[in-house]
Amino acid sequence: MIRYISKRLLALIPMLLGVTFIAFIIMKAAPGDPVGMFMDPSVNLEDINRIRSNLGFDKPIHIQYLMWLKNVLLGNFGYSLISGKPALQAILERFPATLLLSISSLCLILLITFPLGILCGYKKDTPIDDGITVFSFLGLSMPSFWLGLMLILLFSYQLNLFPTSGFMDPLLYGESFHKKAGNILYHMCLPLLTIIIGGIAGLTRYNRFGIIKILGQDYITAARARGVSESRILFKHAFKNILLPIITLLGLDLPGLISGSYIIEFIFSWPGMGQLAIQSVFQRDYPILMAVILFSSILIILGTLIADICYAYIDPRITKKG
Amino acid sequence: MTIKVWLSIAYLIGLLLVSIGVTFTNIDPTYMQTEFIGIPQPPSLDHIFGTDELGRDIFVRSIFGARISLIVGFISVGISLIIGVFIGVISGFMGGLFDEVVMRFIDVLMALPTLFLILIIQVILEPSIINIMIVIGATSWMGIARLVRAEVLSVKERVFVTAVRARGIKERKALFKHIFPHTLNPIIVAAMLGMGGAILTESVLSFLGLGVQPPHPSWGNMLDSSLGYMRDAPWMALIPGILITCTVLSLNFLGDGLWLLLDPKAKDANVKRT
Repeated sequence: MIRYISKRLLALIPMLLGVTFIAFIIMKAAPGDPVGMFMDPSVNLEDINRIRSNLGFDKPIHIQYLMWLKNVLLGNFGYSLISGKPALQAILERFPATLLLSISSLCLILLITFPLGILCGYKKDTPIDDGITVFSFLGLSMPSFWLGLMLILLFSYQLNLFPTSGFMDPLLYGESFHKKAGNILYHMCLPLLTIIIGGIAGLTRYNRFGIIKILGQDYITAARARGVSESRILFKHAFKNILLPIITLLGLDLPGLISGSYIIEFIFSWPGMGQLAIQSVFQRDYPILMAVILFSSILIILGTLIADICYAYIDPRITKKG
Repeated sequence: MTIKVWLSIAYLIGLLLVSIGVTFTNIDPTYMQTEFIGIPQPPSLDHIFGTDELGRDIFVRSIFGARISLIVGFISVGISLIIGVFIGVISGFMGGLFDEVVMRFIDVLMALPTLFLILIIQVILEPSIINIMIVIGATSWMGIARLVRAEVLSVKERVFVTAVRARGIKERKALFKHIFPHTLNPIIVAAMLGMGGAILTESVLSFLGLGVQPPHPSWGNMLDSSLGYMRDAPWMALIPGILITCTVLSLNFLGDGLWLLLDPKAKDANVKRT
């Protein structure tokens, strides 16, 4: 097992190199360069060239990449071209908000999809099953940013229940912790709801198929024949068996959840990494963009890795094969 | 096939016919009714979906938006199918080191936050319809390639392929005449789901101003222009969103229905559903 994990961890290194190199090439392929963006016309050409070579923009692309890589390994992700802040600091400032939103949405999605999927699978082909299936497909098919807008329209404009956007009331900065926390939760309701509605479809579906498949197994029939009660069969025998495959699928869903929450953060002005990322796209702030890509890729790769390890844990054949 | 699937097919065919039909008329989606500029009109008999902030008819713009969405869906899925099927078939058939390298490359691409990457590329390239289709196609073929490769690998070992080989049929002919047709079913399903995904991506891009450029109407940029009028003219935001949702929903239902119909494994999981 340990050998398997360390092997997979080692395999991460070339992957991260590949990811960052591709991202780097794409960004360097941009016509024009960021230096031109904050130049006023009175600056003369020599100064522009000097700044350009200070930033290393005159070197060939693989050298620039190696320079960037060396700096990253030393903990220097470069500086934002707009605000001048270190990119790492800019991202770490935004990270807690993103983490709060994504972890709470993930937990809620899990809490909702398990009962829902089990209910669907158990009540297969009944109106309950069909209703839940249609609803979850609906959530899957809506553009998440539009769903966010509609929730703002309904809950903020029409019903005046929740704030339209933001993280915390600026007036509360001096207040006590629990007051602040409550206010943040209050602001988090709408973005959370948006992510959850979009996110439950896939997992509910997997749970449903999982339960149907398991309920058709011989050992369930055997348990039924022994007179074990239905609820015990469902929650003790069947539930255990879909738990781990679902963790695997969750790992595979992670990229979508991460990319998807970017745009939701943007819509709700949630001060997370996603909002920063989309702003940086428009400002062509390359050092920030590279750092965001690196961070997101690490999250995605780690997600898949954890999923794989869980899978190997339940199915020992995998470690032997690989 | 359930009623959901039939409804989806009816909706999609209707949408397709309307958006083809509108090409042969001389309706102008950018026509502005000057007295309504700045004052979006609610749905009425004259304008059944209302008008937008520049006095343009939202019904007409929605139909032209449908045309753009369907074109983007078709072409970008077409591009990703061509790349995905080609790479998947070759990789599965050749095996060995080539297969290994290709699969690791796909792993790397899958680890990139795709939507974000598309945004960056759209900023770098000039945003245009052609670019959207190429970019979406070029960033969504990996799943299809994996799927096709897995199918090819499993078909390759089947007895009939050995029989084909034993009859002395050339490798390439065996590949395209006997192995490839067996991979078609999952490809069709993946294409349906991929089209829904492409339409969603286009709407995000256009919403952020990085996709179809105004004054050309697309569902995404109609949503973008509705932002300033959310309170006064909610129909401007409602209608394009409902259309996107219905279209993607139909494609998803269709894909799901086809999957249950074509894949014997899905039937096992779902015995009574026929």
